[in-house]
Amino acid sequence: MNVVLWIIFLPIILFVIGTFMLGYSRKFIARIERRYGPPIQQVFYDIFKLMNKKTNISHGWMHDFAILMLLGGTLLTMYFIPVPGFSYFAQYGDVLVIMYVLLIPALGMALGVGETANPNGSIGISRALMMLAGYDIPFFLTFIGMAMLNNTTSMLDLIHLQQAGGIATWGIITNPILGVAALIALQGMLGEKPFEVMVAPHEIATGPMTEMGGKYLGIMMIQHAIGVVIELTIYINLFLGGAVNWFEYIVKLFVLFTLLLSVNAVFGRFRTDDAVRFMWKIPLPLAIIGVLFIIF
Amino acid sequence: MDEKMTQRSVWEKIAAKLSKRSLWMLHYCTGCGAIELPPTMTARFDMERFGINPMVTPRQADILLITGYLSVKTLKRVVLTYEQMQAPKYVVGFGSCTINGGMYWNSYATMKSLDRYIPVETYIAGCMPRPEAIIYSFNELIAKIDRGEANSWKDYYNNYDFYRENQEHTFEGPIETYNDIKADAALFRI
Repeated sequence: MNVVLWIIFLPIILFVIGTFMLGYSRKFIARIERRYGPPIQQVFYDIFKLMNKKTNISHGWMHDFAILMLLGGTLLTMYFIPVPGFSYFAQYGDVLVIMYVLLIPALGMALGVGETANPNGSIGISRALMMLAGYDIPFFLTFIGMAMLNNTTSMLDLIHLQQAGGIATWGIITNPILGVAALIALQGMLGEKPFEVMVAPHEIATGPMTEMGGKYLGIMMIQHAIGVVIELTIYINLFLGGAVNWFEYIVKLFVLFTLLLSVNAVFGRFRTDDAVRFMWKIPLPLAIIGVLFIIF
Repeated sequence: MDEKMTQRSVWEKIAAKLSKRSLWMLHYCTGCGAIELPPTMTARFDMERFGINPMVTPRQADILLITGYLSVKTLKRVVLTYEQMQAPKYVVGFGSCTINGGMYWNSYATMKSLDRYIPVETYIAGCMPRPEAIIYSFNELIAKIDRGEANSWKDYYNNYDFYRENQEHTFEGPIETYNDIKADAALFRI
């Protein structure tokens, strides 16, 4: 019964946290630019407005289906990631499962945008998959490294080991090289500024979102809100000792997000080839060195 | 009867209250006047306070801001852009040129009155309007949405023949558009 309640309410809870985090990010960047900025609940208004649009253009069956695949893939990933109080699925699915299901949203987006046949969208998708090749390899290497270090592939066991030993056994302390590599990869994963090549509003008109309007864009924004929380949670679970209660969890989420946003606020955007080259020059060798440290 | 027809349900009132806080703007700046927009967006006047953000594609936008004069050629692009936007959508005419031609009233190449071709929600008079005027008119638009009076976008669906005739008269022949407005109006029951 408890599990059923969690399954129903977890997406809603993470959605609320995610929208507040996105609203916070807009306010934070506005204050750095010395603007007043929108209210923190602005993203709620945006999503409501989009879901309340009177006309919604559909480009075909695959366009409708892929949007649901995008959201469904994100929800599937969400259930496999342990959060405080709910780890029912996490005991059955380990890090390897998360590695696989993390790719489903990107695939869904590629299918849907392919149907809209917008050149800007196609460029955006090719850039997104290019960046995927950039950040996923170092990120997965850190997954493998942490699994080898702790002799377990279960994310739940990783959290328990870190919580039992206190701060000294947090992943960021026991293997800082992997921690830094994963942090840089996380910046690319979230699509924050130096690696914002996929959206790039000034170049390719928000890329994959070019042809999305109304409810389609609304669902994409809901997916983005949940996706941000998921990706930050993976990092927290692997390197920052997970969280015992929801207060600690939300504090860790906001601290980590603020760190990434500060980098976002002061950087321009890399070109696509530069971004991938950067990913393969800095985080990938770092991750390899980190894994080698663990092996020998 | 009229009283009954214009009454809004509670849900529509709540929806208007929330939707008015988020308006995404597509600015069509082939005329002059685009220079007044950067100060409106950035630190001094900061229109993101009201939830108004610049957007880059017509599919996502709610406001179509037409700055300055439109030539006959650019009007065709404006019509295409406008038809790609998703309703509810609001056109804001910026500057005197969109109202009556302004200083180009005597030119053979510019459009005189924008609301003969697409339905316009608000105008901003002036040559050029200052950022204060832009912010003021956006606040007027927000208040209008709140009162449920910003319904000019329905005219385009209901009086499509009128707008179409004016467009074709200007272009001296039919133009190729990619949206079937009348089918959309039937599909979405506007």
